Amino acid sequence: MTMTPTTTSSYRSAEPAGRDGFGQLLRSEWTKLRTVRGWVIALILAAALTAVIPIALAGTATSNDPVTCAHGICQAEGQTVATGPAGGAVIDNFDFVHQALAGNGSITARVADLHGSSPQQHIPPGFTRPPSIEPWAKAGLMIKASTKPGAAYAAVMLTGNHGVRMQYDFTHDVAGSAVTASWLRLTRSGDSITGYESGDGQHWTPIGSVVLAGLPATAQAGMFVASPEFQSAVGTGDSSFTSATQATAAFSRVALTSSASHWVATSVGAQSPGAGNVNGNGNGNGQLNCNAVKCVKGPASPKDSVRAAGGAFTVAGSGDIAPFEPIVDPLHVTFFGTLFGLIALIALGALFVTAEYRRGMIRTTVTASPRRGRILVAKALVIGVLAFVSGLIGAAIALPIASHKLVANGWTPPVWQTLSLTSGIGLRVVLGTAAIAAVAAILGLAAGAIFRRSSGAIMATTGIVVVPVILSVVLPLTTGTWLLRITPAAAFSLQAGVPRYSQVSSVCAPYHSCFPLSPWSGFAVLCAWAAVAMAGAIYLLRRRDV
Amino acid sequence: MRDAVHAEWTKLRTVPSSGWLLIAIIALTVGASALVTSIVKCPGTCDADTTKLSLTGIMLGQAAVAAIAVVVVTAEYGTGMIRVSLAAVPRRSVLLAAKAIVVTAVVLVAGTISVLGSVLAGRIQLPGNGFTAANGFAALSILHGPTLRAAAGSVLYLVLIGLFTLGISTALRDSGLTTAVVLGFLYVIPIIGDVVISPLWQHRVERWTPTDAGLAIQATRNIAKLPIGPWPGLGVLALWTTAALAGGWLVLRLRDA
Repeated sequence: MTMTPTTTSSYRSAEPAGRDGFGQLLRSEWTKLRTVRGWVIALILAAALTAVIPIALAGTATSNDPVTCAHGICQAEGQTVATGPAGGAVIDNFDFVHQALAGNGSITARVADLHGSSPQQHIPPGFTRPPSIEPWAKAGLMIKASTKPGAAYAAVMLTGNHGVRMQYDFTHDVAGSAVTASWLRLTRSGDSITGYESGDGQHWTPIGSVVLAGLPATAQAGMFVASPEFQSAVGTGDSSFTSATQATAAFSRVALTSSASHWVATSVGAQSPGAGNVNGNGNGNGQLNCNAVKCVKGPASPKDSVRAAGGAFTVAGSGDIAPFEPIVDPLHVTFFGTLFGLIALIALGALFVTAEYRRGMIRTTVTASPRRGRILVAKALVIGVLAFVSGLIGAAIALPIASHKLVANGWTPPVWQTLSLTSGIGLRVVLGTAAIAAVAAILGLAAGAIFRRSSGAIMATTGIVVVPVILSVVLPLTTGTWLLRITPAAAFSLQAGVPRYSQVSSVCAPYHSCFPLSPWSGFAVLCAWAAVAMAGAIYLLRRRDV
Repeated sequence: MRDAVHAEWTKLRTVPSSGWLLIAIIALTVGASALVTSIVKCPGTCDADTTKLSLTGIMLGQAAVAAIAVVVVTAEYGTGMIRVSLAAVPRRSVLLAAKAIVVTAVVLVAGTISVLGSVLAGRIQLPGNGFTAANGFAALSILHGPTLRAAAGSVLYLVLIGLFTLGISTALRDSGLTTAVVLGFLYVIPIIGDVVISPLWQHRVERWTPTDAGLAIQATRNIAKLPIGPWPGLGVLALWTTAALAGGWLVLRLRDA
């Protein structure tokens, strides 16, 4: 008898196969959240706090020192500022040796020997001494609509520490090479101005090209020197010391096409006589004193002598050509009010996990979805999206009303802008507030999975997200700034209401709600913390018994 | 009453997290204070109030104090233990008083160690950072009048923060909710007070909010310029604590556990 192999099929239920897709998991987590009444109230409360407290803070923020303007020149925070082509406040205060450039043409010079002169001044104890040259001291060539402060311009320059740059209309900065002496050239063609640099005066490399809309047919072209104020702060940053600085540069082989007149030295934006100082030796005319806002060389020099002699000039100057960064950022201060709502969302994130441990629900959850890492990812998605929406609604209500109240309280243009949801900064503040809420809630969730206790998780998360802000205000400046670089609190730079520019060196004091990192890199720090915490939480959830 | 206190002490002592939190109070306070006094330099911050600086850690340690006070109450609600406690000690006031006594005792001990450690760290580190007699700084001494007041006051501050949290926990019962509310008081309101633009509102916040007013007890320089004096400041915190405890007591009496 031989056995014939038979095939037997195992039993299969007639019911459809169970699904354990990620969609199901998301849906179950969403159901858990929406069916706990207290949590829904927390989400709504967080949105309400995020909206109401900044508005209330904006209502109390009266400026003691309102901006006063006359003829486009304003006084703000003890400084004289002009209104730039884009409408923002600018510092436009420098020494300019120029002449009219009719129509198209170009100006070329070799710029070298840029050096600073240290002000002979008593430095109070504790403050750093000024460097030998300000990093953003500038010397180069400029084509400017007029010598009126705030007029449109484009310039190529050597800088103290930042190599060759092309800058235009105050807020724009394009890097060239990192040399300390260079041939520079600016060419105008219609409304378009192109900047070039060259090592030898023969081979030219373009740095950038810009269209200055509405540049008059006859613009001013020439050499300029500026050196910004030196600033130093001590303590928590509440006491600071500033002093004017001066820079000097040698211009040689200056050549201007279609030169029609002689060189004029102007201290643009000068408030008092004696601000400018030009030494011209291109025409053998010796010293020239420039003690007025506008001064012309005494004996009229032959108009072509500068070119013919391949003119050499030594120009000294001080001041700056840059956007004005106000010290006080009232919108940022106002948006610290969103921290109350943020703590509510962090707590909600933590409770979303710890409540499961307290009630034993976690055992059901991991039975339903044995792949544990996905549970936390689903929870993070649900809480992240809801916290984002909660923060977004709150901030979108707060921003326009708070901004309107701030303007009414004296924080006015051109120094402080009215921010709307459609302006770049306004949009960044609103989206940033929502993004911080989302990632901080996920950080709270991860802490909840790590600690398994709501109190500990909320304390730990608040401790690294919110507490550094208060510590940075009371600690010495360097320590405080350091905290705001490495802790998740760095992300609050997303809420800054005034733009910060890399081409302006100013003291960034947490005391004045200035965050050292740029908005999105600050946010990246928060995201990195959240990612590490989530990885740790997933690891622990997989390893530990529930 | 003695039995109630003894029962509370046993409950607190046998929960593993209490020991960790006590260590956290001391470690956070002394650690943060020592870090600050190792960083500050004269010249740089020669106008510093060295006593206040060496007590900076209180700002972190208070979180662990609050955590203990939260655990003492909300853990009972979380586990249903509160029903056993109330069956054993039916008089609500006695139960709350017993909890308050235990929290006070524990925080007094941990707070004293923390503050002494912080002052010692300042005494050792500050002279090396330029805070010398030549620059007008005497070495920190706990026997020096204002420093003694600041140090003892800081311990009292921690006790009051503990009792304040105890009151809020009793009123709110949920650990997550209580923690969020207390952290708002401890850390967000001071931020608002520090950065708020209106001098009038800044003055109000510094005078009347629990932490800003309470921490006035640490000041030893320019006291006349403070928005509120050291002892009146601690008095404001005591008022907040009284209000929180009264609220907690009321909820405990009126609401079913």
